[in-house]
Amino acid sequence: MKTILSAANAVIAIASGLLVLLGYFLPNIFGGLRDQMLLWAIFLAAFALLVGVLNLAGTHLKKVTTRQRGAGYSIVLLISMLLTLALVGIDLAGGENGPAGFWSLWLFKNIQMPIEISLIAVLAIVLVIMAARLLGRRPNTFSIIFLLTVVIVLLGSVPLYHFGSSAPLTTLRGLAVNLLAVGGMRGLLLGVALGTIATGLRVLMGADRPYGG
Amino acid sequence: MLLRGRRLYTCYGRLLTLNLVLEILGDLLGLIFALFCLGMMIIFLASGRKRPIQSIREIPAFNRFRHEVGLAVESGKRLHISLGRGRLDDQPGGAALAGITMMERCARAASISDRPPVVSSGDGVVSILSQDTLRATYHNIGADRRYDPTSGRLAGATPLSYTAGAMSIIHDEAVSTNVMAGHFGGEVGLLTEAGDRSGSLTVAGSDSLPAQAVLYAGTEEPLIGEELYAGGAYLGAGPLHFASLRMQDVLRWLLAAVIVGGALLRLLGVLPK
Repeated sequence: MKTILSAANAVIAIASGLLVLLGYFLPNIFGGLRDQMLLWAIFLAAFALLVGVLNLAGTHLKKVTTRQRGAGYSIVLLISMLLTLALVGIDLAGGENGPAGFWSLWLFKNIQMPIEISLIAVLAIVLVIMAARLLGRRPNTFSIIFLLTVVIVLLGSVPLYHFGSSAPLTTLRGLAVNLLAVGGMRGLLLGVALGTIATGLRVLMGADRPYGG
Repeated sequence: MLLRGRRLYTCYGRLLTLNLVLEILGDLLGLIFALFCLGMMIIFLASGRKRPIQSIREIPAFNRFRHEVGLAVESGKRLHISLGRGRLDDQPGGAALAGITMMERCARAASISDRPPVVSSGDGVVSILSQDTLRATYHNIGADRRYDPTSGRLAGATPLSYTAGAMSIIHDEAVSTNVMAGHFGGEVGLLTEAGDRSGSLTVAGSDSLPAQAVLYAGTEEPLIGEELYAGGAYLGAGPLHFASLRMQDVLRWLLAAVIVGGALLRLLGVLPK
């Protein structure tokens, strides 16, 4: 029974993948079917998010009940989750559109956004420390080139007493950003695109079965 | 209009002929390219079966990763696999699928450990797929009891909430090795920093260029460019992974030759600027 189910999963996944792919290449024939299937996928993705949130709540509840390390943070998360649901519920009960309601936007503007901005500020410091540590971590020619490029682009971008607009720096920055970086980026993106194609084809051939088949 | 078109055709005959062919093929060009890739994979798969021992260039990150998985199992520590925040119905989905393949190999390798791997993702669908893959992997190796639904988690639904959720896993759950394979942005720096602080090794790759730059500076073993997609071949996921890796290598050289050839032809004036 398990084998039959797993084979059926694979058949459905491969057929759906092929139909959506053909919908992009032959829009006149498969376009309508592709759009319909993508619509179903959007509904399923929304439901999957709900399942994911419930799973997250379950994980943290388990952490609290088994008194694992960091259980205090889990309590904060669970209370925040319940409060958010309650506030969005108040919006919905008041006839407002949930995510665009007064309390939802209040939460977003006064809690989520300041916290995320603080994390971005921390990230800026972390990136500087990371760059400083690079030579210790990997002392080679490429690391030196990497750091030199970072310094040139940074100095060439900041208005530091007109330092960034001096001729040699702007020329070097232009060379690094417009020529060398673009060439390297295209090379990397070609590799990523080929890798994505290979991964997609493996899923369509049924070799990779991320659906537990 | 026709006469104008005709005159243009005469001036730049070669270019317009190519454009005409591309216009006729239109949307089919992508399909032809996909079929070409598929054909190459099948050819390499067939030739690989005749020659089972295949050599591939060494990627230090995968060697180190195999070693660290062994150490994690022996020391009773945990692997954390981060599948990023890419949605499956978008272009970053490819990176998440490559990450799921690596996750499956990790779960298999660490199946005898006291602490099974924990997987975090920033998308509901990827999170369900990770749980399903973990469950199927444990079932296939006859260790159904080891499956814990909370080991495949949605850590957060926005980029920074995902990062915050994954950081707490790295800090709190006795993680010895972090495998980051999926779509990230620059915020991946916070994850690598968390790994550094907790003394765990980080092997990481992403399809996003800003994340690759951060990973190059912030991890001991970064996976650059297409190396992320080669994980299956290096971790023994099957002959088709070798075939697809060879297909990628051949096509990369082919595309590089076309780009360099095109630039030379333009330099020589054969192709108009």
